Amino acid sequence: MSRLQNQPTLRVDTNKPLSFTYKKKTFSGFKGDTVASALFSGGIRIFSRSLKYHRPRGLYSLDGECSNTGMEVNGIPNVNAEKTLLEKGMQVKAQNVKGSPELDAMGFMDSLDRAMPAGFYYRTMHKPARIWPIALQQVRKAAGLGKISPDFRMTGEFDEIFPTTDVCVIGGGPSGMTAAIAAAETGLRVILLEARPWLGGFFDYRQSEFSRDLPHYQRARELEARMQTLPNIRVFTHTAMVGAYSNNLVTAFQIGNEKDPFDERYLEIRAQSMIVATGCIERPLLFENNERPGVMQIACAHRLANTYGILPGKRAVFSVAHDLGIEAALDLFDAGIEIAAVADIRDNPSHAALVSELEQREIPYLKGWVAREALGAPLKSVSLTTLQGTFEKKLECDLLVASAGMTPVTGPLSMAQAELAFDQHTGFFLPKSLPVGVYAAGRLLGLNDSRAIEASGQVAGLSAALNCGKASAQALKDAQEMLAGRPQAERGCNLVMAPVKGRKAFICFDEDTTVKNIKQAIDMGFDATELIKRFTAAGTGPGQSGIPGHNLPLLVAQHHTDHGALTRPTTMRAPLVPTLMATYAGTNHLMSKRTPMHERQKQDGGVMRKIGVWNRARYFSDDFSCRREIENIRNNVGMLDATTLGKFRIFGPDALKALQRVYVGDMAKISPGKIKYSAMCNEDGCIIDDGVVVQRGENDYYFTTSTARAGITVEWIRYHTRYDGWDFNLVNLTDAFGVINLAGPKAREVLSEVIDADISNAAFPFAAYQEFTALDTIPVRIMRLGFVGELSYELHVPGSWMETLWDALSEAGKPFGIANFGLETQNVLRMEKGHLIIGSESEQRTTLHDVGLGGLWDRNKPAVDTVGAVALQQTENQEKRLKLVGFKMKNTRTPPKDGSIVVDDRIRGHVCIARYSHTLQEAVGMALVEDPLHAVGTEISIYEDECQGQLVSATVVPMPFYDPKGERLRS
Amino acid sequence: MALTLTCPVCGKRNGYEFRYGGEDKGPKPDDFGSSPETWCDYVHMNRCVAGIQKEWWCHRDGCGVWFTTHRDTLKNLEME
Repeated sequence: MSRLQNQPTLRVDTNKPLSFTYKKKTFSGFKGDTVASALFSGGIRIFSRSLKYHRPRGLYSLDGECSNTGMEVNGIPNVNAEKTLLEKGMQVKAQNVKGSPELDAMGFMDSLDRAMPAGFYYRTMHKPARIWPIALQQVRKAAGLGKISPDFRMTGEFDEIFPTTDVCVIGGGPSGMTAAIAAAETGLRVILLEARPWLGGFFDYRQSEFSRDLPHYQRARELEARMQTLPNIRVFTHTAMVGAYSNNLVTAFQIGNEKDPFDERYLEIRAQSMIVATGCIERPLLFENNERPGVMQIACAHRLANTYGILPGKRAVFSVAHDLGIEAALDLFDAGIEIAAVADIRDNPSHAALVSELEQREIPYLKGWVAREALGAPLKSVSLTTLQGTFEKKLECDLLVASAGMTPVTGPLSMAQAELAFDQHTGFFLPKSLPVGVYAAGRLLGLNDSRAIEASGQVAGLSAALNCGKASAQALKDAQEMLAGRPQAERGCNLVMAPVKGRKAFICFDEDTTVKNIKQAIDMGFDATELIKRFTAAGTGPGQSGIPGHNLPLLVAQHHTDHGALTRPTTMRAPLVPTLMATYAGTNHLMSKRTPMHERQKQDGGVMRKIGVWNRARYFSDDFSCRREIENIRNNVGMLDATTLGKFRIFGPDALKALQRVYVGDMAKISPGKIKYSAMCNEDGCIIDDGVVVQRGENDYYFTTSTARAGITVEWIRYHTRYDGWDFNLVNLTDAFGVINLAGPKAREVLSEVIDADISNAAFPFAAYQEFTALDTIPVRIMRLGFVGELSYELHVPGSWMETLWDALSEAGKPFGIANFGLETQNVLRMEKGHLIIGSESEQRTTLHDVGLGGLWDRNKPAVDTVGAVALQQTENQEKRLKLVGFKMKNTRTPPKDGSIVVDDRIRGHVCIARYSHTLQEAVGMALVEDPLHAVGTEISIYEDECQGQLVSATVVPMPFYDPKGERLRS
Repeated sequence: MALTLTCPVCGKRNGYEFRYGGEDKGPKPDDFGSSPETWCDYVHMNRCVAGIQKEWWCHRDGCGVWFTTHRDTLKNLEME
């Protein structure tokens, strides 16, 4: 279909056609079109069928306030076609239809409305209870929005940014742009968000005069040009604001254009001041069949012609209550539409000149008349009535422009915790008070005069600047005087509904809620708007109350009293505009830390796993039982990359006091050259960490924590000393040092190849600590420990030396059969030795006593000075606790799964770890079991998923399973 | 996170950077007796003020300091 070419306000480029498919046919639109405008131009009038009654639905507002134009685009359901810019090759489908939108096999649903009163499914489909699941399926089938394939994969780039700014302006219309300019001229940083792809707001499509010889759209472009000269304004177009929170945190999402490296992106803006200049949408007029395709709001018809160059109909009737309606009628008449009549709910327009312009064009102007019923599908005629319903007349038309006036877009203000109150004069919900740093400007204050709208932007911009410590009070005062000199807020139309019964007068399009449904809810005793909203579902659809948001509270208030004081809008919640989950999810940020040995471990065949914040080698072969790795440690020697251990330096005059505070042992007993093993508890006496501490100098200590605690240890120690004012420094060296665990009976022979010092068992015994120079160069701190139960050395080296030392050890170890071992091998080895991993053999409620480490606690330390000691005193002899025990499986070589439950007549505990031990030739494990099942010799039964009702049996045995006297690790 | 907090070292920062450390209950009393209940109350019971309360925060993703500040729990705003 051809477009109006001579409109100076066009936003489509008719030199750039774009083809797309709909209903298996090729359609064509232009660059700048939305999917909806291109379809409308191609003759499509019915875009979807409604949720419940399958009524035909078409273009109504063009700004996405309802789901009328919810369509499937490129496989994504519920895309709002009127806000989605057309792209070449788009695949568009209609939703919720059997057949086509024009001929929907479910269309008969519309005649069944008497069977489906408000909330009928809540009240009818639960007796007997078993019918609900069946009814649910049927209801969902009939009342679907879009459908998504379970294997659908979202494509595209989704980004996120977190800008900080001085002033954030929401809305790029005349007041928003004026506010941004005013604030930016004081030198502040300004961010401006505009939901449409271009700036200008309601000036953008209007050819009427702003001032002599300056049409409104030109004025908007002047403001835009002025903004472009201010580099401190950052403009985001096609960016809908979706949330506002305390401290002026604003969230929004931006749709990228072809130049952007993203499809959509999430914005989280921290502003000092926030200006809401979101303007108005139109309040829907309630009459019978008010949502019939062919019925649309003023701006929809006006913008179709002026922005997209499409004539919305051939012969139109207007039923309006605002000067913008008359202006649209004049423009559409001039564009070539026959106007049968303009009915105006008001007695008089605000600008009398408009009426004479109608008269010049011989368009009948009916004061005090309103649309009563839209007739025919597609629309053939409209019945008009006087406000009292006394007289009626029927006019033929294929377009009915209907609107009950304006309604401010207060969602952002409401989310920012502004208090809104009903204003009799404008009929708007206006901000009664605004939170600190929040300002409102423009049409949403009820202003209609173009100059007043800009002046209010000036006032808001300067107020926002003043809040940031810029702008002079005098400049603000001048702006306020300027605003006071312009026409103030106009009286708004207070009519809620034409004089009809409302059986087919839809207050909410998304949920198919009629005025009759609201009446039914009220008859059933619902009196609060919020409850009526939920019972009738009005305003709970994708349009986020865009259609019923203003009418619903007005209608409910009419029931109570005509006094507006009780009238309250329903609460607005984020997202104010439907947002893709993908946009919220953003880019996939799967990240993990890598040790200096990462690449080498992979080259060596390491099977890497994400474990906590790290990526680590779990196995070194396909055999996940790790038999060869295990046997090599028990017989020869192996190396484990243990870099992930938490490593810390604490020093300063009060360092020892801090250690005493968090460790349960007496840290004063640390002697140079010796390792002190201890544990940390929380205030409940529950074990949270274990590790070793060594003293490196006066008031200077080095200690390790488990991998899981590395990130939180500094915070923990500072927290528990927060009242003391102690003088100590704490440095997290976790990422600065690498750790090699060299373990196995031949470890000493390997180590002596790289260290030129006496490391004999006498010179460097078990539990000793010493610092060496490896290869005559590398400073290395060595702890003689035995986590895996063999002779072993823990080598701590600066990260940059890790590979060198590792390679040297590998080379030196070759004659001894050195091999890598991974985490799983370590796990089995330490289990055989009965060594714990906190978090595996303990849980939230497990105390130091429960895991048998009570001996680490020094009871001579004053209890209140040690974190957890008071609880350790109190729980020491508590009964019925879960205690850690070792067990051997009876009659089976198969271990139960980690986490299997221990049961008799009830749950008595769980298996922490169980493995088949190649060393012991039997299945063993550790479990937390309820006292008194923990006694050695007790038989316990274990349930796991695949036992098919047959519990497996195990016997509680003493630990450790392997080398109980510890001869090997001391050898 | 909408909350901002004022770190005594780094100034006003985004709430994401901080860890909550609970209500300020003051230093531990010296003696709790032998009753687990008294101890449990001290550790776990909170006043949960609906209004302005003094609380501990840690500038975890910044300088690491623990500090106290006053926050209006109804508005989730730090007091000036």
